[in-house]
Amino acid sequence: MFPAPIREYHRPSSIAEALSVIAREDVGEAIFLAGGQSAMQAIKSRMLQPDCIIDLQAVDAIRGIRQADGALEIGAMTRYVDIAENVALDGPFAALRDAASHIGDRQVRNRGTIGGSLCWNYVAACMPTVVLGLGGVCHLVSLKGERSVPADDFFLGPLTTAREDGELLSAIRFAVPVKRSGSAYRKWGLVTDALPVVGVCVNVSLSGDGRCTAARVSLTGLPDGAQRSTSAEDALLNSDCAPEVLRSAMNAAADSVDAQSDGSASADYRRQLIRTLGAEVAQLAVDRAKR
Amino acid sequence: MKTITVTVNGAVYEETVSERMLLVDFLREQLALTGTHVGCTYEGVCGACTICLDGEAVKSCLMLAVQADGHSITTVEGLAGDKLTPLQQAFIENHGLQCGFCTSGILMNMSEFLEKNPNPSDDDIRHGLIGNLCRCTGYVHIVKAVRAAAAVGR
Amino acid sequence: MKKSPTKDSTKWFGARLPRKEDTRLVTGKGKYIADFVLPGMLHAVFVRSEVAHAHIRGIDTSEAEAMPGVVAVYTGESLKSQMKSMTQKVLIPNLPAQYPEYWALATGKVKYHGEPVALVVARDKYVAVDAAEAVAVDYEELPVITDAEVALKPGATVIHDDATSNEIFAMTFTGGDTIEAQNENDAEVDKIFREADVVVSERFKVHRTGVTPLEPRGALCDWSETDGLTAWITTQRPHIDRLALVDILDIPPEKVRVVTPRDMGGAFGIKAPFYRENVIIAHAARDLGRPVRWIESRYECQMNVGQERDQVNYMEIAASKDGELLAVRNRGIANVGVGLVGVYWGFVMPFLGAIELPNAYTWRKGDVKLHCAVTNKTSNTPSRAFGNYPTRFALERAIDMAARKIGMEPSEVRRKNLIPELPYTSVTNDFYDSGDFIKVWDNLMAQIDLAEFRKEQAAARKEGRYLGIGFACGVELSGVASELMVPMENQPGYGSATVRVEPRGALLIFCGDAPSGQGHETTTAQAAASVLGIDPGDVVTTTGDTGTTPFGSGSIGARYGAVGVSAVAKACEQIKAKMVRVLAHDMEIKAETKDFEFKNGEIVYLLDPSKRKAFKDVAERIIMSPINLPEGEDGGLETTAFFESDVPMICFNADCCILEVRPETSEWKIKRWVTSEDVGNVINPMVVDGQMHGAIVHGLSNAIFEEYVYDEQGQQLSADFENYKIATAADVPDFELTYASTPCPHTPLGTRGIGEGRPASVSGALTNALCDALEPFGVEITELPIRPDRLWKKVQEAKAG
Repeated sequence: MFPAPIREYHRPSSIAEALSVIAREDVGEAIFLAGGQSAMQAIKSRMLQPDCIIDLQAVDAIRGIRQADGALEIGAMTRYVDIAENVALDGPFAALRDAASHIGDRQVRNRGTIGGSLCWNYVAACMPTVVLGLGGVCHLVSLKGERSVPADDFFLGPLTTAREDGELLSAIRFAVPVKRSGSAYRKWGLVTDALPVVGVCVNVSLSGDGRCTAARVSLTGLPDGAQRSTSAEDALLNSDCAPEVLRSAMNAAADSVDAQSDGSASADYRRQLIRTLGAEVAQLAVDRAKR
Repeated sequence: MKTITVTVNGAVYEETVSERMLLVDFLREQLALTGTHVGCTYEGVCGACTICLDGEAVKSCLMLAVQADGHSITTVEGLAGDKLTPLQQAFIENHGLQCGFCTSGILMNMSEFLEKNPNPSDDDIRHGLIGNLCRCTGYVHIVKAVRAAAAVGR
Repeated sequence: MKKSPTKDSTKWFGARLPRKEDTRLVTGKGKYIADFVLPGMLHAVFVRSEVAHAHIRGIDTSEAEAMPGVVAVYTGESLKSQMKSMTQKVLIPNLPAQYPEYWALATGKVKYHGEPVALVVARDKYVAVDAAEAVAVDYEELPVITDAEVALKPGATVIHDDATSNEIFAMTFTGGDTIEAQNENDAEVDKIFREADVVVSERFKVHRTGVTPLEPRGALCDWSETDGLTAWITTQRPHIDRLALVDILDIPPEKVRVVTPRDMGGAFGIKAPFYRENVIIAHAARDLGRPVRWIESRYECQMNVGQERDQVNYMEIAASKDGELLAVRNRGIANVGVGLVGVYWGFVMPFLGAIELPNAYTWRKGDVKLHCAVTNKTSNTPSRAFGNYPTRFALERAIDMAARKIGMEPSEVRRKNLIPELPYTSVTNDFYDSGDFIKVWDNLMAQIDLAEFRKEQAAARKEGRYLGIGFACGVELSGVASELMVPMENQPGYGSATVRVEPRGALLIFCGDAPSGQGHETTTAQAAASVLGIDPGDVVTTTGDTGTTPFGSGSIGARYGAVGVSAVAKACEQIKAKMVRVLAHDMEIKAETKDFEFKNGEIVYLLDPSKRKAFKDVAERIIMSPINLPEGEDGGLETTAFFESDVPMICFNADCCILEVRPETSEWKIKRWVTSEDVGNVINPMVVDGQMHGAIVHGLSNAIFEEYVYDEQGQQLSADFENYKIATAADVPDFELTYASTPCPHTPLGTRGIGEGRPASVSGALTNALCDALEPFGVEITELPIRPDRLWKKVQEAKAG
C-alpha cells in the first residue's frame, strides 16, 4: 500500500523551526517523523493520513547520548543502533542496550529511534518498558515552553502518551544512580527479536551489604502496554536479592498482572514467562549491580 | 511535488517527486533501478527493499523519497564495480540464492554487516539476517555464503 | 556465464556448478513481473470484499470514476456479457465433484474476506489505490461458516447457491471402485481392528498454513487488434493459463501468448492455479486498448493464496504387539475454503493427500475416506507438500503413539514396516516405482547412535533436562504421471523440451514449464551438455513462453527432475543420433550412435579415435551445408521431445530430529536435524541441497510459526508478515543432509524429481521428538501449530493428571 496524499514535507534543522511548522494554523494534520519504523507502517496502511510531515532527521540538537548535570541524556532522535553500540551504557543503563540490540532487525535499528518508540508507545514495545523501568524523564518542548514528564506519567496506555499537540519530545533523562546499580531487559516473542509477547525490565540498586535499596520492575506484552509491577518491586526492596527472592518477586508480578490470551500466547503462558524470564532478568540485573 | 537531490550508486540525480512517494518506488520506477524489490505491503518486515543509506542498511519501503534528499544511496546495482564483490561472489559459489527476490536486500544488509562484523560467528550472521525473509533457501546456504565472504575479507 | 570450471565434459553431470541465473540476480539485473514496463501502461488495483459472506446490494463506483487519473472501474455483473465464467472445462479436474460457477469478479454474493469485487485502472498506482478506497460496496451480510465440520452438518447454510451441499467432494480411496467392494474392504478392516493387540485412535488437526513466496502474484497484459493478447503472468503453468484465457475471454487461440517472466520470486504452488485476476487484467487491456499491470500486494496475497493444510483427520491404526502395522483407517475432513480456484477447486490437494496417506509402510488393509467442505475462507491453493502435510503429520504421530503402546522404539516400528522391496502398490492404489526404503532408513540410523542417545537422555532426565528424538519419513511423487494428472488436473503428465543447435554449436533449449528459483537454466544446461559433450556455458534455456516453447503442464509436483530433464535428454539423444548419421556418412563409415563419443566439444569415432570432428563443425555442416546428406536426411538440427515414464515415479526421505525441551517454559532447541534422502542421480548437488534446506525450513515454519487466522466472522487477521510469522534465519538450525540414493530406472539419466513434497515429513519428526522428550509426562501432540505455549499447557495438564 501507498501513503494517502501528503501536502507538505518539512525538514527543520532546529527545534524552534520544527515547532513553528507544527504550530501553523493551516498545517492540517501534521506529524513529527522520527525514524519512521512504526509511523511509516501506519502511513502506508493509511491508518495515519497526515497532511504534513515534519521530518526530524536534521534536528541535530535532539540526537546523541551525553552525561550532563548528574544525568544521562539521550536525545529523542538517537537511533537504536547508537544505543546498542554504546558500550558506556552498562550497569544501571544496560537494559537500554539489551533492548536496543534486539528491536526488530538491523535495518530497523539503523533507523528507528528511542524517541519515536516512546511517542508511538505501541502496546507491545521494548523501549517504553525500559524507560519506565529505568525511571526516565521525558523532556517535552513546545512554543509554550518546556516541561519534564516522568515516564510513570508519560505512558498513558497503548498508542497514548502525555505528549500534547504541538509538543516535541526532545530527550529522555535518567538520573545517574548510586553505585552498585544494575538493570536488564529481555523479551520473548514467537520468532527471534519480534515484538515482545512478554518483555521484562528489572532495575535494582544494592547497598554495600547487598541489600536492595531501590527497585523498579516493568513489563510489556500485556493489554495495557508498558507497566510497572509494584508487587515485584515491593518483594525486591530491602531483600538480599537471593535467587529465591527474585523468583518469588517475579511470581508476585505474574500473579498480579492482567494478562490476555491471543494467538501468540495464552494468559497463563504469559504469566509463566514473567516468572521464568523475569527471574533471569532480575538475576542479570543483580549481577550487573554487583559488578 | 518536491525536487530532491540524491546520489545513487555514485551518480547525482535531481528529480521531482510527490511528497508521498516511497523511496523504493522512486528507485524502482523513477530511476529504473529495479534490483530493489518489494515483498510486503505496509509492514516493512521482508527486507527485500533493503538499500544502504549513507552506508547503512535500511528498508527503502519505510522511507519517503523526500527523506532521502541530500543523502547518498547504494542499491544492489551499485555493489559491484568492475567485478563482483566477494559477498556477491560467495553467494554464487555457495548457492546462497534460489529465486533471487530476497537476495538484493540480503546483499545490501550483509555488506554493511560485514563491515561492522568482519569476523562473525554463524549465530551473529543468523541474527544479522533477521530483517530479511527468505522462503527458498532455508537460510543455510546464505549463512555459508556470508561466512565465506567474511573469510575472503580477512 | 563464464565457461564452466571443469574442462572434462563427462564431469558436468553431478558437478557443483555455479548457477547460470546467479550473476544477474546478485547484481539486481533479474527481471521479475514488477520490473516489466510498457509504454502507456496503466495500473490496476482490486477492491476486495471486507466481509466473508454477503449479498452485494450495490456497488457505487461514481466517486472513484470521477477521480483524476482513473481510467476505468470494472464490477462483476457488468462483465458477464463480456466473458465466460471461470468454470471452464480446461480448469476442471476429471473427478466427480461439485464445480460451482463463478466469475472473474464477485457476482451477486461475496463468499470470503478478500474476494475481488471491483477493479480500478488508473494512470498512477497511488491514484489507483486512492480510487479503490473510494469504491463503496453495500453488503447485506449472511451467516458465516469457517469450520469444515460445521459446514458439513445437516441444515448448514449452503455457501454456493448452485451446490446441493457444502460437501464439494468426497471419496473412498480403498477397497476398489464399487460400493460393494469398498464395504467388503471396510468390513475386513473392522475385523483387523477388533482383533488387533494395539489400536491408536485420535483426532489430528492441522491448521491453515501454506506458503508465501517473497514475490506475490502479478500480471501485465497487452492487447493489439492484430496480434491479440500478450500476457506476462507469474504462473508456474503458462500453457494452461493460455488455454484458460482463450476459453474464458473467447479469443482465437492463435492470438494469445502467455509468458512467465524468466525470474519469478518463488512460487511453491501458489502460482500453479489459474486465477480470476488474470482474466480481468487481460480483459481490461483488451477493453482499454492499453497495457494494464497488476502487482499484487502482500496483503492481497495473504488474503487470497498460499493457504492449505487446514484438515482434521480422525485416524486409527491397528498394530500387533510385536510391532507390525496392520491397518490404517482415516476420515479426513478438509476445509477447502470457498473452493473457487481454477485447476484445484480447493479439494485436489487433500485428494492427493489421501492417496499418499499410507506413506512408505506395508499396511495389510486400509480404509481411507475424505470429505471436503467449502467454507467462507479463501480457497485452498497448492503449497509445497501438496495435500500431504496434514495426513503425514497424523500418520507419523499415530505410529509413534502405537510404538509407545507396544513398547518398541518408534524407529524400529518404522523400519519393521517399511516396504521392503519396490515396485509396490499401496492400499490406496498408489504406485511406488523404485528405490530402496530400507537403505535410506539404515543410512539415517547410521548417522545417529540411538542407544547412546537413550543413555544420554536418561542421564539428562535425572538432572531435570529433557532430550528427545523423533523420526518420520515420506514418499513423494517425482513428477505426476498422466495416469494421475489427467483425472486429477485434466492435464498431461509428460515433460517436453525443444532442443535447437544453432550453426556455431551453441544449444538453445525451450521448456514450457516455468521455474521460480529452482535453477532450471543451470540443471538443463548440465544435463544437455553432459549428453552432447559440450560446455554448459554454451547452453541457453528459455522457459515459460508459450510463443516459443512446447506444451508443458507446468513447474509443479517435482516434475522437472523427473520428466522435464528427461525430455531434454531425450531430445539431445535425437540430436546426437542425427549428428552421428551425418558424420558417419561424411566419414564414409558404417556406424551407430554408440560408436561415437561426444566429449569436450568433439565427436570421436571410438573404433578409430583419429576420426573426430568438432561438435560445432558438424552442427554447422548440417544446418548451413545441407548437401550430400545421407539419403532421406534433411538439413537443420532441432527437435522437440516429449517424455513420459512408463510408470509413475517417486522419491523418498527420512528425518531425524534431536532436541531439548526447557521444562519451565516448554521452549525447545533443535540440537541436530539429520536426514537421509533418495533423490536418484543428482545433476547439481548444490541445487539439491538447497531444495532440501528450503523444504525442511518450510515444514518447520509451517509447524511452529505460520498460521492463517480467521475470526468467527471470517475476518482474516494474518494478511501481513507482522501477523503471519515466518521463520527467520535465527529461528532454524543447520541441517545434516545425507544421501542414500537409488538411480531411477525409468528416466534416461536416472534422475528423480525432488523437493516439492519434502516438507511433509518434517512436522512428524519435530513433534515426535517433542513427545519423546516429554514422555515422562505422557504428552501427545495431536494439533498443529505446536508452539511453546501450547506445549507448556499440555505439560501442565499432564502434570495435573
